[in-house]
Amino acid sequence: MSVLLAQGVEVTAGEAWTFWLLAPIAVIGALGMVLARNAVHSALWLVLTMLALGVFYVVQSAPFLGLVQVVVYTGAIMMLFLFVLMLVGRDAADSLIETLRGQRAAAVLVGGGLAALLATGTYRWLEGTPAAGLAEANAEHGGNTEGLANLLFSRWVLGFELTGALLIVAALGALMLTHIVREPGERLSQPEQMRARFAPGNYPAPKPGPGVFATSSSNTTPAKLPDGTASPRSISPILPIRELTAAEAADKETER
Amino acid sequence: MTTDFQLPAIDYQAISPLLILFGVACLGVLVEAFVPRPARRRVQLGMALVGVLAALGAVVLLAGTNVVTAGGSVTVDGPALFMQGALLAFGVVALLLIGERRVEPGGAFVAQPAITVGSEADQRQASAPGATEVFPLAMFSLGGMALFIAASDLLTMFIALELLSLPLYLMCALARRHRLISQEAAVKYFLLGAYASGFFLFGVVLAYGYAGSVDLAAIHAAVDTSQMNPALLYAALALIVMGLLFKTAAAPFHVWAPDVYQGAPTPITAFMAACTKVAAFGALLRVTYVAFERLAWDWLPVIGVIAVLTMLVGAVLAVTQTDLKRLLAYSSIANAGFVLVGVLAVGRTGASSAMFYLVAYGFAVLGAFAVISLVRDREGETTHLSRWAGLGRRSPLVAGVFTVVMLALAGIPLTGGFTAKFAVFSAALEVGEGWLVIAGVVSSVIIAFPYLRVVVMMWLSEPSESTATMVAPGLLTGTALGIGALAVVGLGVVPGPVLDLAHDAALFLR
Repeated sequence: MSVLLAQGVEVTAGEAWTFWLLAPIAVIGALGMVLARNAVHSALWLVLTMLALGVFYVVQSAPFLGLVQVVVYTGAIMMLFLFVLMLVGRDAADSLIETLRGQRAAAVLVGGGLAALLATGTYRWLEGTPAAGLAEANAEHGGNTEGLANLLFSRWVLGFELTGALLIVAALGALMLTHIVREPGERLSQPEQMRARFAPGNYPAPKPGPGVFATSSSNTTPAKLPDGTASPRSISPILPIRELTAAEAADKETER
Repeated sequence: MTTDFQLPAIDYQAISPLLILFGVACLGVLVEAFVPRPARRRVQLGMALVGVLAALGAVVLLAGTNVVTAGGSVTVDGPALFMQGALLAFGVVALLLIGERRVEPGGAFVAQPAITVGSEADQRQASAPGATEVFPLAMFSLGGMALFIAASDLLTMFIALELLSLPLYLMCALARRHRLISQEAAVKYFLLGAYASGFFLFGVVLAYGYAGSVDLAAIHAAVDTSQMNPALLYAALALIVMGLLFKTAAAPFHVWAPDVYQGAPTPITAFMAACTKVAAFGALLRVTYVAFERLAWDWLPVIGVIAVLTMLVGAVLAVTQTDLKRLLAYSSIANAGFVLVGVLAVGRTGASSAMFYLVAYGFAVLGAFAVISLVRDREGETTHLSRWAGLGRRSPLVAGVFTVVMLALAGIPLTGGFTAKFAVFSAALEVGEGWLVIAGVVSSVIIAFPYLRVVVMMWLSEPSESTATMVAPGLLTGTALGIGALAVVGLGVVPGPVLDLAHDAALFLR
């Protein structure tokens, strides 16, 4: 299954197989990212697409780009993004209320139309173009990474430096939008915290864990105090207290 | 290591304005880290003003330079220098507005944007001194704009586009009053801007596919020699121009402008209206005149339709506005259409008329927003038209300045607006684009109505209880107002020197 193009480089069977196996996965990942309701799922779909792209780069003899794609984009940036999502709270699902009537249908129609136009267009316009391959460019400076470095630090040195300025702006913006300066005295010192802990009215010992019973050992089941009442301190305040069904609450005849 | 590595020749003098701007921006970040909080604003404002003036001086010293440097990333030629000069002059005025703290206690910017809107902590910071990070952000943005105008390949242009946009998105979110609207504006601008950047980038890729290079000059050469399907080039042109027209707020890529102009802090709105327009049109001129000039007969009708649409949409919708900031947003859309008429008169006259228009419009709009920042009540700025009724009786001087600015925007003779419109329309007539001129004159007439309505309301209505008060301008806003009004009148009475300068500068180096 090898395709020989006029004057171009031969596309090997392995490359073609890799492409046709991974290309649908990359597209599915991209679609999943857009369609998933949950932000975490979206991020994970995007990871799939990025990994597939990383393999494409490696297969197309750009190993450095492929590795950067996997290590930096997928490994570092997307994982950091996931951490942030988890920290912020992943319950913020998209609101699906349309403020403009028919907007979604129109967006799907027009967006899909543009995508179809560009996809079929680029396919038709580039049909029969010989693949140049990277062999020649890679040989020039003794390797792919060396060639890339040479370009970055000679022809594109200004753009490379200015990307640094872009990163400064990004860091500054992230700090501005997230960092709150604490007023002096706003944060309690260690002795103050300790005194508050043992002050009358506070309970200094660890809180009891949730109940572990034969009927249920869920985190949402409160522990029972010696007098048989449920202890609200034993479960997290954000969890709803689990209501037992009648069957669960019934006597299991284990006391006999 | 291979021995064939060679650093590209960099003409440091030619890129000195850029180096100064980015250097001061980086220093500004260090000031945030090391200078005690109470002294920061003075240090930042002084440094930023000195930096922009030094860069302006460097641009003036470079006059007449024609050089491609930094490995072919930057072209320093007449249009680049002229528009960089205009940009930096607007930058000075915008910085004066950004630095103002007398009009509103603490300034127009919130102290800590991270604090939740409406929380107890937010009420405590109501009159705390505003965030000073806005100065380095503005400097980075100015640097990006200066590079955007001078970029001689599409990749550098893309980096410059991001570099000018990212600080703008951030600064939009920093308003002290009406913070939720401000944050909404920032998110809208960011999402739509990222989308437009995506279009631009896709266009760059297609252009590379056609020409085998992202250099504007190489694309120009490839139009004749490339073996590729020319449809690639047309698609590239369409997508790149789409990305640029978004920044200029041309219809149908204008929908972000009213919301963002209204939500952003007024000094930032002024900065966006004056400086971003110059940068975006600088890049648009360079792309269309340098890279795609040979396709002019193909893009002229398309961008011509966009220009007509932009002028009419901006003018008609401006008539229906009751909020002054939104009115000026639609006016900025209409004015983008007028500049496009100049761009479409392909040639030296067209470029010089568009550049002159940008100068005249920039000073007028800076003056307008300076006045808007002064008209207030207890809630902050009052931008509703009805609140402006009778202001002329109360504070004739500032209302007089606003009147001059509005007349300039309407294109009344003896103001810069008239000269600019005349230059653009005569350039279009010269190359036989009469239909653009007809549409331009019609929309000029339409859009004169909302401007004159504000003027009539200010002077001919009796002041009532609902009339807002005009805060006395501090030194900074006063200077900005003075520069704006003087420039508007000066460009109308003695436009010759600037027109000649624009004409001498209007030759692109390929």
